[in-house]
Amino acid sequence: MAPSRALARLTLLRRAQQTALRRPYHSYDHPAPTGIFNAHEQAILSAAYKHVPEHGFTAQSLSLGARDAGYLDVSTNLFSEGPFSLIRYHLVTQREALAPRREAILADVTASTAVPARVERLTWERLLGNRDVNHRWQEALAIMAQPSHVPASLHELALLADEIHFLAGDTSVDPSWYTKRGGLSMIYASSELFMTNDRSPGFGNTRAFLQRRLAEAGSLSGAVGSVTQWLGFTASAGVNVLRSKGVRI
Amino acid sequence: MVARPALRAATRIARRQPVASTYSSHNFCTSTPTLRPSTASSSSTRDSSNGSTRTTHFGFQDGISESEKTERVAGVFHSVAESYDRMNDLMSFGWHRIWKDHFVSSLNPGYSSSIPPKPQRILDVAGGTGDIAFRMLNQSHVVNANPNIHITISDINPSMLAVGKQRSLSLPAAQQATLSFLEADATQLPATIAPDSLDLYTVAFGIRNFANIPAALAEAHRVLKPGGVFACLEFSKVGNPVFDAVYKRWSFSAIPLIGQLVAGDRDSYQYLVESIERFPSQDEFRGLIEDAGFVVGGKGYEDLTLGVAAIHKGMKPL
Repeated sequence: MAPSRALARLTLLRRAQQTALRRPYHSYDHPAPTGIFNAHEQAILSAAYKHVPEHGFTAQSLSLGARDAGYLDVSTNLFSEGPFSLIRYHLVTQREALAPRREAILADVTASTAVPARVERLTWERLLGNRDVNHRWQEALAIMAQPSHVPASLHELALLADEIHFLAGDTSVDPSWYTKRGGLSMIYASSELFMTNDRSPGFGNTRAFLQRRLAEAGSLSGAVGSVTQWLGFTASAGVNVLRSKGVRI
Repeated sequence: MVARPALRAATRIARRQPVASTYSSHNFCTSTPTLRPSTASSSSTRDSSNGSTRTTHFGFQDGISESEKTERVAGVFHSVAESYDRMNDLMSFGWHRIWKDHFVSSLNPGYSSSIPPKPQRILDVAGGTGDIAFRMLNQSHVVNANPNIHITISDINPSMLAVGKQRSLSLPAAQQATLSFLEADATQLPATIAPDSLDLYTVAFGIRNFANIPAALAEAHRVLKPGGVFACLEFSKVGNPVFDAVYKRWSFSAIPLIGQLVAGDRDSYQYLVESIERFPSQDEFRGLIEDAGFVVGGKGYEDLTLGVAAIHKGMKPL
């Protein structure tokens, strides 16, 4: 049984390497492995991506991309998710494109500006990343909403919200970590949907929409914060009143 | 050379004149000839200088020489036809048809972005009865409107090919013209299949019965064009422990019983469930595919029905 044991060990080793490389946090010393696509997938997808404005996120684009990269029509079977792989490629490359351009994007935002302003700048840049495929993006959203693709799509959305907050320098470690990311995810998704119907020059309406939503979220979180503070104060005051009356709490 | 008496795999012998029923399935099942005890030193992949000592397993029995496994599997499928067809439906609640339909539609043979469509050459291994090949013909000719493909149905067993041939007579003439049959051993394909000549290599519910799986994978790698795809539909391991318990209970108690009642052959169905149990897990099998030189995309496989079956695909790199 030696070979099968060796095989099992190999599998274990491979799994160990994968888990060792995947971290739920940003590590400066051990950067995350680059991309979720291997070299062959990368070659086909990057070629296919050029066909998206004309043919959309379809098997047709994938197949044309495979031809361009020197593969066969049948090679698109490498992607078990079909056209969704192309959508994911778009999401991943656009997300990863934010980090190298961080300095340029935030150049006109003064150092003193708070995190929300930087979040707004970065989110807007990410939305502009959809510019070339915007007329095809409704099809993509429809594919992403298919039940089998929903988990992967939501995961990408969460990664994007986290990336934006990380790049914006958000260092919160309280429960607002979750509300900030959840809120930005909702705002981003609705802005993206708004953008697909936006015909204004330079997508000005989308930017106004994004800013309104962020302002609402800001005032809402401010209101929630105030209410929470008031509730906390009232509760502790109530406890103290009861204690002063001799109740053993 | 005595070296490879062993390499006669995926054998399906229809000893009786098989009954042609339309759209039957690949038969999951085998009948076991008398099982002789054998020495226990076993290794399915070890290469020894003397081929006759290479051993593999048959169901839960270890230390069977590859040639003996080939013989036993060859003794299999002997009462092919009607009872097995019914058995497959009974055992899987008819679900195997859905797996096969999904397998073929996900492969999408005949799809081409070029106008006119590029020709494709496909080899369906262990596909004697033709049900995967006929589905692929339909997908290419009807769905993708591309008659410019050629499918070779290969099987080690001439009787199974005869079943496929007879069934193919009910296909439209245009589809029959693009079909050919080949009697061949998947671990040693004949010279008529040139290296680097195929677009697609499929094997559905067959690779489990091969005496030497790595050799068959290496052979697939040899005959595929660069960029060509190896695709395999096979039983696999269930991930969910609760469903796994139910599934194991079903397969080890109910399936041999149904086999006894319906087909009158308990041993064959015992071999069936044991061979499923012995087949490597999804991750291990992906490792075998990668070791043969293929690249896999994503996690490399797709689970069907929570992992009862799985589709593995590998691409030969450029």
